[in-house]
Amino acid sequence: MSRTEGNKPISAALAAATCSLLGSAIPTQVDAQEPSDWDFNTSILYYGEDNDRVEDFSVKAIARRMFVDDRSLSLGMTVDVLTGATPNGAIKQDVVQTFTRPSGNGFYSVGPGELPLDDTFKDTRVALTANWQQPVGDTSLVNIGGSVSSEYDYTHLGINAKVARDFNQRNTTVSAGLAYSMDDLDPVGGAPMPLTPMLDVGDTSNRMGDQDKDVLDVVLGVTQVVSRTLVVQANYSYSYSDGYLTDPYKVLSLVDGVTGDTLLRTGGIPVEGGPSHQFLFESRPDERTKHSLYTQAKYYVDGKVLDISYRFMTDDWEIDSHTVDLRYRWPLAGDSYIEPHLRFYTQSEAEFYLLSIDNSQPLPRYASNDYRLGDFDGITAGLKYGWRTGAGNDMSVRVEWYQQSGTVPGSQIIGNQANRDNYPDLNALIVQFGYRF
Amino acid sequence: MTRTIGFLAAALLLCGGCSSMGVEPWDRDILAMEEMQLTTDELEAATDDHIYFSKEASSGGRGFGGGGCGCN
Amino acid sequence: MGSPCELVCECVKRGDASELSQLAAEEAWRIEDKFSRYTGGSAVARINEANGEAITVDDETADLLDFAATLFELSDARFDITSGVLRHIWSFDGGTKIPRQADIETVRQNIGWSRVAWHRPELQMPKGMEIDLGGIGKEYAVDRAAKRLREEGAPPCLVNFGGDLATTAAPRVRRSWRVGIEGKTPDAPERRIDLRQGALATSGDARRFLEKDGVRYSHILDPRTGWPVPDAPRSITVAAESCTQAGMISTLAMLKGAEAEGFLEAQNVRWWCYR
Repeated sequence: MSRTEGNKPISAALAAATCSLLGSAIPTQVDAQEPSDWDFNTSILYYGEDNDRVEDFSVKAIARRMFVDDRSLSLGMTVDVLTGATPNGAIKQDVVQTFTRPSGNGFYSVGPGELPLDDTFKDTRVALTANWQQPVGDTSLVNIGGSVSSEYDYTHLGINAKVARDFNQRNTTVSAGLAYSMDDLDPVGGAPMPLTPMLDVGDTSNRMGDQDKDVLDVVLGVTQVVSRTLVVQANYSYSYSDGYLTDPYKVLSLVDGVTGDTLLRTGGIPVEGGPSHQFLFESRPDERTKHSLYTQAKYYVDGKVLDISYRFMTDDWEIDSHTVDLRYRWPLAGDSYIEPHLRFYTQSEAEFYLLSIDNSQPLPRYASNDYRLGDFDGITAGLKYGWRTGAGNDMSVRVEWYQQSGTVPGSQIIGNQANRDNYPDLNALIVQFGYRF
Repeated sequence: MTRTIGFLAAALLLCGGCSSMGVEPWDRDILAMEEMQLTTDELEAATDDHIYFSKEASSGGRGFGGGGCGCN
Repeated sequence: MGSPCELVCECVKRGDASELSQLAAEEAWRIEDKFSRYTGGSAVARINEANGEAITVDDETADLLDFAATLFELSDARFDITSGVLRHIWSFDGGTKIPRQADIETVRQNIGWSRVAWHRPELQMPKGMEIDLGGIGKEYAVDRAAKRLREEGAPPCLVNFGGDLATTAAPRVRRSWRVGIEGKTPDAPERRIDLRQGALATSGDARRFLEKDGVRYSHILDPRTGWPVPDAPRSITVAAESCTQAGMISTLAMLKGAEAEGFLEAQNVRWWCYR
């Protein structure tokens, strides 16, 4: 008993003995893990539009730390690197056009028949989020969070809070949330005064200082378990934005009331450069109120899950939109799955959406040719494939194609504009890799 | 605005009939599956929200995203 | 079994769950009735009342005795099914009563598997000796119940007899079964284990002990000395392919006292040890 005996491995002998005892080989492997207190969700995203337009490369990560009693802290970070060009709001012409860069320090040219694109749009954006989740009593949950983001010309600071309460043996959940954002804009070169002309290189006489924008969001929601295989949700959202809502880099072409062609500038272009034609900076209202109704259902049928959602949005800029999103998750062997995805989107144009400004008419109060405020349809079609790695972690990859095609209201087309394709349709490829561990 | 109220009323009516709907606690096996959660992949949802917020005039619906950006 | 038993299963209907519980319970009761030393007419009772005579046992009993014999060898005589007689002088009720050495010596006369003549299917023990299968019985019952459920084509289930558990198959609807291991105080889950496949068994018990003069005596007795194993950990949990295997490794580790962790390391299994 006093002699220290070595620790010999007896597993093999014991396994053999157990095998004889139980009369058969045990058909299982051992998989017993202590779950980590931390959960990580990471992804790499590529977004690319065709025709040299916007490209985005993004890395995202969320780390969640679980505590006793279902409390949790989650910290998120996103880094976006943006390159490429975006339509600047001017219309195509049959001649070369030149534009002063937003900074006022240079100019760029666009060929005949080309869609004017501004490629000053290179930026890196970093965003951080934090969220604390706290159960209150048996049936309530409180979430409090904050967010911060920063890019060259824009900083954002936000806070949000949400309360959710369960009823009917947790079959019904009612939630209410509030978010408030305070954003600061410091456009390159300074925000231009609305509806003033684009000036020559070096001339920043029509620029204003920093701008800001506040946004209040309220969301009220109900989630209901309908049956063992169906759960539905409905949310009403209200959003109020106040402040500088204009895009400081976008212009509209000032056109002749008969021909629809963009008016040439008065006087010659200076040596340093300047706009070849007359362009006016856009102008949007300084308030916007949106209402949305969102409903979603998740339905389990025969091992597969159908996710279908519909959102209706209407606002006081007279934009109405409908979004239908469908996903179908199809499990495959070995803990993997395939998930096709279809999304249909349609919106009507903003009240002040205008293809170009008619020189023979009084100047409108608000005007923008931003394609994102126009009348267009969007379709997304994609496929996602997910699997479990050897270490038991989840990986996924998805590839999607997003296409937008729009129309300019007939009443806005003047003269020669009818011969051209005026709406900058969009085709984008989305590729995303995800890894959770 | 009247359309909004109409939709809201429809949603509330849906809730009114809900008090007796549901399942017993021991029948929640399928509902507990990860793929049956309303948001299955938080990052993918955040990514999509951000892409469509940047390219369209509508945003959110499910909740609120993590923050603004200079894209719209 | 002496402890609460439960069956967790992934079923569609409540009726199915009832039927499966019945199957598992029947297997548990069958083994209890057959191998409990308390049940008159049980195989173990017959052996203990043999009074020195040779007894012929059936295949299942013989398998258990063969297993016990192997464990005796593998543990260098620390695991001994004839050591049950020590319960006459030791009672671990949280009190302070320590038996006298003389009494321990007397009882030790009746301990020692090497004195038993076991030649399958005949067992002959000297008068006064007893066997007690309590150290193997519960884990064995878990494995038998799991096997029965597999044979019946049951959906994935978790058999849990008082903290000794085994899965029949990996769960389909969720990633794994969630198990909590009791920590230093009863009722407070110290650690959570996600058991997807395999079995878990725990040795040691925070509730059964004696304490005298500041020394805590665990209820794990070393048959070679008749005394509690010194420096035994409070509890050991092991994960292995079967509950019997997990149970035996955790028991043998306990019997090693201060060297429990060293022993567990050498066995190439997942283990959790608390002191």
